[in-house]
Amino acid sequence: MLRAPRSFPYSLLLPATIVMLAVVLFPLGYSFWLAFRNMSLYHFRTHEFVGLDNFQLVLTEPIFWTLLGKSLVWTGVNVFFHVALGVLLAILLSGPVRGKTILRTMLVLPWAMPQYISALTWRGMFNFEYGAINLILKQWFHLPPVPWLSDPTWAFVAPILTNIWLGFPFMMVVALGGLTSIPADLYEAAELDGANGWEKFTNVTLPSLMPVLVPSILLGTIWTFNNTLVVWLVSNGGQPADATHILVTYIYKVAFTYSRYSYAAAFSVVVFLMLLGFVVYVMRRTSSQERTA
Amino acid sequence: MFRSLPFRASHLIACLMLCLVLAPGCAPKKSATGPAKIVIWSQMDPEERARFEKNIAAYQAAHPGVTIENVPYDTENLRQQFQTAAAGGGGPQLIFGPSDQVGPLSLLELIRPLDETMPKGFFDRFVPQALDTLNGHLWAAPDQVGNHLLLCYNKKLVPVPPANATEFLEMAKKLTKDGVYGFAMNVNEPYWLAPFLAGYDGWVFAADGKPSLDTPAMRDALGYVALLKSKATGIMPAECDYQIAETLFLEGKAAMIVNGPWSWAAYRKGGVDLGIAPLWVLPNGKHAMPMIASKGYSISVNVPKEQLDAVIDFVTFCTSPEAELRDAVALGVLPSHKDAWNAPEITSDPTLKISQDAFTMGRRMPVVPEMRVVWDVMRPGLQKVMNGSMSPADAAKEMQAAAEQQIAGMKR
Repeated sequence: MLRAPRSFPYSLLLPATIVMLAVVLFPLGYSFWLAFRNMSLYHFRTHEFVGLDNFQLVLTEPIFWTLLGKSLVWTGVNVFFHVALGVLLAILLSGPVRGKTILRTMLVLPWAMPQYISALTWRGMFNFEYGAINLILKQWFHLPPVPWLSDPTWAFVAPILTNIWLGFPFMMVVALGGLTSIPADLYEAAELDGANGWEKFTNVTLPSLMPVLVPSILLGTIWTFNNTLVVWLVSNGGQPADATHILVTYIYKVAFTYSRYSYAAAFSVVVFLMLLGFVVYVMRRTSSQERTA
Repeated sequence: MFRSLPFRASHLIACLMLCLVLAPGCAPKKSATGPAKIVIWSQMDPEERARFEKNIAAYQAAHPGVTIENVPYDTENLRQQFQTAAAGGGGPQLIFGPSDQVGPLSLLELIRPLDETMPKGFFDRFVPQALDTLNGHLWAAPDQVGNHLLLCYNKKLVPVPPANATEFLEMAKKLTKDGVYGFAMNVNEPYWLAPFLAGYDGWVFAADGKPSLDTPAMRDALGYVALLKSKATGIMPAECDYQIAETLFLEGKAAMIVNGPWSWAAYRKGGVDLGIAPLWVLPNGKHAMPMIASKGYSISVNVPKEQLDAVIDFVTFCTSPEAELRDAVALGVLPSHKDAWNAPEITSDPTLKISQDAFTMGRRMPVVPEMRVVWDVMRPGLQKVMNGSMSPADAAKEMQAAAEQQIAGMKR
C-alpha cells in the first residue's frame, strides 16, 4: 500500500491558505498599493501613482497627532479597566461565592450581547434629560446631570464607559481559566512563608496569570485600538463636532464620507505599522523574559 | 494517522476540501439572472417600504414571471454598498433613494444617464422641480418630491399655528409647562439649519459653486437656532436630536416640531392630532425656506442590454401617476408626475395642499458631490454653537475653512 507523501499535510492546509490569502493578505496588500495612489471620488477610475504624498499628508496634519493621542487614551483606559475588573471579578468568582454560576453567566452577558445593540442602548442611557444614567445620578445621588453626549470631554468618556462594560467579561473569562490552573500548593507554600493576601496576589496569582493574560492583553489592545463600532455608535459618528473620533473612526469617515480612499489607505497603513511595531516589541520582550526566567 | 491513508484517498480528501472552499465563489451572480428578476436596493421609511411592497405585488401580478426583490438600506449604507458592489461589476439593477446620491454615483460612472437611457420624452411627464440635472444629464427618475421641512403641530395644544417669529416664541413659551415643551427640533443636523440659512438669504454654495458658509446669513441662522435652543428661551429640551424630538412629539410632550412629510404617517398612527404649516416668518421678515429634493430610481451601469427594457418598464410603472397617487395619499408625500401633482386627491387634501404650497417655497438641494462635504463640515460647527462652546461667527468661519480643505482633499 502506498503511503501519504510528505506533501499531504500541505495539501490539507492549501484551502485554508487560499482563503487566508484572499481575505487577509490580498486586502492588506491592496491597502498598501492604494496608499501610494490618489484614488478618490474624483479619481476613482483614473487614479495614479503619487509616491509618498499621502503619507506625508497624514503625518504632517495636526489631526493625526490629536487622534493618535485620543486613540492611546481610549486604548490604555479601556484595556486597564478590562484587565483590572476582569481579574478582580475572576478572583472573587473563584472564591467561595454563593450562586457562582448565575453570577458568572450574568457577568458574561455584556460580552454575549451584540456590540451594536449595547452601544445604541448605552447611547440612549446617556441622554441628558431622559437617559437612565443621569436619572440615577439625579435621583439616587442628588448629583447634577452630566452632558454625556453634548460636551466634547464627556462625549469621549461615554464610549469609554460603554466599552469597559463590553470588554471586561473577556478578561474575566481568561483570568478565570488561568486561576484554575494555579496549583494550590503554591498558595500553601506562600502561607507557610507568612504571605498576606496582597503578597499572595502579587507573588503567586499575578505571575501565574501572566502567561494567559499577556496574549489576551495584546489581543485586547489591538481590538480596542481598532474598535470603530462603539465610538461610532455611542457618539453618533464622532459627535459632538467630530470631537470623539479616534484614529480608526476618522479613517472610516474619511474613506466613506469623503471618498478619499488613498488618503484613508495611507492612514490605515500607518496605524497597521504602529500596531505591528507594538506587537513585535511586546512579543520580543515577553519571549526574552521567558528565556531569562 | 495520515501515514495510514492510501495515497489516492489522501489527495482526494484534499481536493474535495479545496472544492468545498472554492465552490461558493463559482455560484452565478444573483443580480444578473435575466429579465425575470430585478433587484432594487432602496432607502425607504417603514411605511414607505410597506407601500412600495404593494406596488411590487401589483407589478408582479400584472407581469407574471417577473420577480422584483427589494433590499432596504439606510441612506449611507445604500450609497456605500452600491458603490462597492457596482464598482466590482455586481450590485442591483436599480437603486432608489434621495436625489443627492446621484452626485457621487454619477461621478463614479456607476449609474446610467437616464436622459439617454429612458425612452424619448420620458422626463416630460414630471414637474420641473422634480428633476436634477448634473453635468448635463438626468440621473434619476423621481417618483416623489418633497423632503421639505415644515412645522408640525399637535392640534390639541396648538389650535392655530404661529405665522411669524414673535408668535412662535410667545406660543412656545406659553406651552412649555408641566413636562411639555413648546418646541422640539433636531438641532444636531444641518439639514434642519438649512431653512433658516435660506430664510436669512444665505445658501450653502455661491454662484460659482464654491461653498459659502462664512456669511452673515450663516451667522444669523446659527444665532437664531441657538436662541431657540437656549436655556434662557427655555422652549426646548437641553439635548434634542431627531429621536428625542420625535419621541416627545409622539408622546404629546412637545407641542410643535420641525419635520418632513416622511414622519406624518407615524405621527398619525401614534395618535397625534397632527396639523402642518409652512415654517414661520423669521425676525428679518422672510419665510424660513426648506430645502426641497426628490427621491427616485437610478439604473446601474451593470444592467446588461437584454435586461434594460424590463428595468425601464418597472421604473415607468413606479413613476406612473396611478402609483404615485397611491403613494402620495397613503404616505403624505408629493407626486413628481404632473398629472398626479394636479390631481384632485392632492389639491383637495388640506394637508397635501399645505405641503404643496410649502414645497413651492423651498430651494432645491444641490446634488453635486461636494454637498456631502458641506453637510459634514456644517455639523460640527452647528453642534458647537448648540452646546455653547463656540460663537456663530467662529463656527461659520470654521465651517468654511473645513469645507475648502475637505473639497480640496477630495479633488486631490
